[in-house]
Amino acid sequence: MPRQTAITPASSQGYGPSWLHQVCEPVENLRQLGRRAVLALLGIAVGCTAVVALLNIGHNAEREAMNVFRGMGSDLLVANVQIPGSGRSEALQNIATLDTDALRKAVPDITAAAPLVLTSSDARLRGHVLSTTILGSSADLPVVLDLRLAQGRFLSRFDAHSTHVVLGANVAAEWGNAGIHAQPGDRVQIGGYLFQVIGILQPTGQNPLLPAPPDDAILLPLEGMRRIIPSPQITSILARNPNGATLAQTSPALQQWVESRMPGYEVNVQIPRLLLEGMAKQSRLFSWLLAGLGSIALLVGGIGVMNVMVMNVAERRREIGVRMALGARPRDIARLFLLEAVVLAASGALAGAMVGLLMAWAFVHYSGWSDFSLSATALPLGIGSAIATGLFFGLSPAMAAARLTPVQALRDA
Amino acid sequence: MQRVHDTDLIRLENITHAYATGASSQAVLHGVSFSVPTGQSCAIVGASGSGKSTLLNLIGLLDEPTSGRVLLAGEEMTNADAESRAIARNRIIGFVFQSFNLLPRLDALDNVALPLLYRGVPQPQARQAALTQLERVGLSNRSHHRPADMSGGQRQRVAIARALVGEPSLLLADEPTGNLDSQTAQDIIELLLSLNREYGTTLVVVTHDTGIADRMARCIQVRDGRIEEAEHA
Repeated sequence: MPRQTAITPASSQGYGPSWLHQVCEPVENLRQLGRRAVLALLGIAVGCTAVVALLNIGHNAEREAMNVFRGMGSDLLVANVQIPGSGRSEALQNIATLDTDALRKAVPDITAAAPLVLTSSDARLRGHVLSTTILGSSADLPVVLDLRLAQGRFLSRFDAHSTHVVLGANVAAEWGNAGIHAQPGDRVQIGGYLFQVIGILQPTGQNPLLPAPPDDAILLPLEGMRRIIPSPQITSILARNPNGATLAQTSPALQQWVESRMPGYEVNVQIPRLLLEGMAKQSRLFSWLLAGLGSIALLVGGIGVMNVMVMNVAERRREIGVRMALGARPRDIARLFLLEAVVLAASGALAGAMVGLLMAWAFVHYSGWSDFSLSATALPLGIGSAIATGLFFGLSPAMAAARLTPVQALRDA
Repeated sequence: MQRVHDTDLIRLENITHAYATGASSQAVLHGVSFSVPTGQSCAIVGASGSGKSTLLNLIGLLDEPTSGRVLLAGEEMTNADAESRAIARNRIIGFVFQSFNLLPRLDALDNVALPLLYRGVPQPQARQAALTQLERVGLSNRSHHRPADMSGGQRQRVAIARALVGEPSLLLADEPTGNLDSQTAQDIIELLLSLNREYGTTLVVVTHDTGIADRMARCIQVRDGRIEEAEHA
């Protein structure tokens, strides 16, 4: 009898439905399950939507925050000088000059440094008065802050004692709005002095760490500040260290040097890059928190899948029995129901991912942020965790189906 | 593995079967032994509750005996695991049930093709073989009908086609005409017997209809969990 060999264990190789059929059958079964499948799918889709949308929104929020701070330059150090709050302030002398060449010698990693003196004052050009920030600094400021000129030239060492100024982009633009076209050679009245405009800056963008944005300021030589205020006081020193590796070590050196030159003052050095990294870390944490929120939604969706699958197995008990009688092994039954759960979760995940992307895109669009950027982790994480949820919650009903014996399954309920 | 009788397709030795009901257990079969040679047609008759369906489940490897041995096609199946039982069912046995047991979501063709798919036959070939079987039972024009769109007789013929598609050596029919009118029942029995005659497929039919039992070559009477041979002409 040739069939006798047919049932030896070795012949179980190659037994079982083809790969294609294994995949097609759950899809067809779910299609026929209709509305109930859609409801379970909805739960997973909402969860996946939440994960994908929240991760993407978090990612874009992080990018937006980074964009705001990107203007700060990654190799900048900002030393802020403050009068200590202990009330000894009247004993302190105002310090209006600082030898930045000596700083470069003392801290060789610093390639350029510029002290800042700040005040605000009215400036008058051809009868039109503008209330602006007056920024006194040295000739090194363009190097430190990467300033570029739209017209004319910047202040040089030789301008130190002359009445020359450079206009920030917004200052020139504001006069422009009033119909006054500012250009090099114009004379601007600040306080009791007339200053000659020798250059106009290009816009530089925001830098929250600077005491004042150069765009909104009129720049003049540090030494010339005395013409506007009687006792100028240096409030910040900006320094640049292009060697990223030693940036953190430069900070205490700069602090020490400034403290030695400005005794009695409180000096604290901020490094935008480290600040930036801290912020990035924080917003990443926030993103994960949001994703955690999404995964709770996913969990609820998973319970929905389990519900549908338990019902499914109970209702199709007889079918399970017939399949077993026809030669389905326990693992074929388990795989059938597990794949149904996975297909359910996967289609929910895909739908959810698309809705999530759309929502995140709309959120970014209507928040007026810069272009939408796709988070690299959102899609794999959202879809992956949704499918894993389906797998996890589908496992128990599938195992229960596979554990049925053929007689149990075929018996009338 | 012990080969007892190479000509015996089914061999049961001292089978006892008991169902656990709460703490106690209720014996349904008591020390049943019998064998069916290859190619025979055999009826199992008995009152309801006599244990004849249990006997069929044991022969069909759908259930395991409490004690005793089951040999099918010379293979010891008594202690086989669920997986090798499933494979043996697929390769040796074709089932025909009283309530047809077609899958309602599949059309006739896919219902018939199902055993071959579990055997690992690719779907196109399986469907081709299924169509051949549907032709054999005279239903090739109904191949894309769902079970719900067919009459009882047609459904049972689809079920027979499904039982035959794997070219089994044993056809097990459990009250195959129980849900059919007498004319259709006659046709179905005629079909089963012709398969037995023409292809030598061993046929075991559980029935309480003596008219059907009389048409089989052999009749086994189950009474209170024991069997008696009821030879007839």
